[in-house]
Amino acid sequence: MFCDEALNAVEAIASGEMIADGRIAQHLTTCPNCGAALETAKQLERMLQMRPVPRPPAQFTARTLTRVRRARWRSDQWFDAGFNVAIVAIVVAVVGGIWMLLHRSGLSAVSGDAVDLFGTGVATLVRRVAPSVPLYAAATAVLATALVLWWWAEREAAP
Amino acid sequence: MHAVNERELVERCRSGDEAAFQELVDRYKDLVFALIARTVQDRSRAEDLAQDVFLRIHRGLPYFRGEARLSTWIYRIVANVCLQEQSRPRKIESLEDGRIEARTGGADRQFGDLELRDRLEKAISRLAPNYRLLVAAHYLEGVQYEELAEALQLPLGTVKTQLHRAKQQLRRLLETDLR
Repeated sequence: MFCDEALNAVEAIASGEMIADGRIAQHLTTCPNCGAALETAKQLERMLQMRPVPRPPAQFTARTLTRVRRARWRSDQWFDAGFNVAIVAIVVAVVGGIWMLLHRSGLSAVSGDAVDLFGTGVATLVRRVAPSVPLYAAATAVLATALVLWWWAEREAAP
Repeated sequence: MHAVNERELVERCRSGDEAAFQELVDRYKDLVFALIARTVQDRSRAEDLAQDVFLRIHRGLPYFRGEARLSTWIYRIVANVCLQEQSRPRKIESLEDGRIEARTGGADRQFGDLELRDRLEKAISRLAPNYRLLVAAHYLEGVQYEELAEALQLPLGTVKTQLHRAKQQLRRLLETDLR
């Protein structure tokens, strides 16, 4: 029974948190089992204190910051994508709303004539604009190239 | 770190100052890495997990209310990361694994011996994850009992009791192995 008490105290004695009183001290000197346990506990305490402290690699900070930047960039990308989807949804909702409004108010029947008139107007416009089409095509190509370059630069700049 | 400096550093990090976050990483990397490496006992995995800790810190800083010390909050994140890692299935190493066969009497029974150090690490790896973290933290300079208790959200007495039990288990593991 007393061995249990002594064995329960050896860690505290070994670490210096407890000083063995007379009864326990005497038992530890006379009982070989408990004495050996105290020796092992002392050795264990020394080993734990001398345990090497692992150090982070030299590039740890740089690598961590790169990872943080990448994670932030990814979360920004998700935010951008969400924003674009929201804008498209709003535009679709507005156009759909206007169409439904025209349909329900009976304005869509009147709009048949308006569409014919609009078609004639567009045809006239196309005839007048046709000679300038190559110029517009070139301008569109320049704009598209600029957009592609901008997209590529964004992609390269990402961490 | 002084509390005022700590608050100032947190505020700078929150405002998106990358230099401030780099300073934070530099201040805490030794402690975070040592705690994790001692607990998971795999250096390459430790680096990955230590980076995870700083990633969580970066994400969590806007929500850090400053009620606890920054270091306490960081210990809590380290503890969560380590305990999550330890809950993954892994191979339990026997203390016999890797034992050096060529013995030279009682000389190799000294604890300073590399073989015994290796066996100590293996014995530690057989402890419960929370015990392993406590043993790792208690024997690191700069980690206070009180801070550890707050980080693990345990009473101070419980931390001391668990550490006592962890050391008892370690002693028994080593005694069984040595006899």
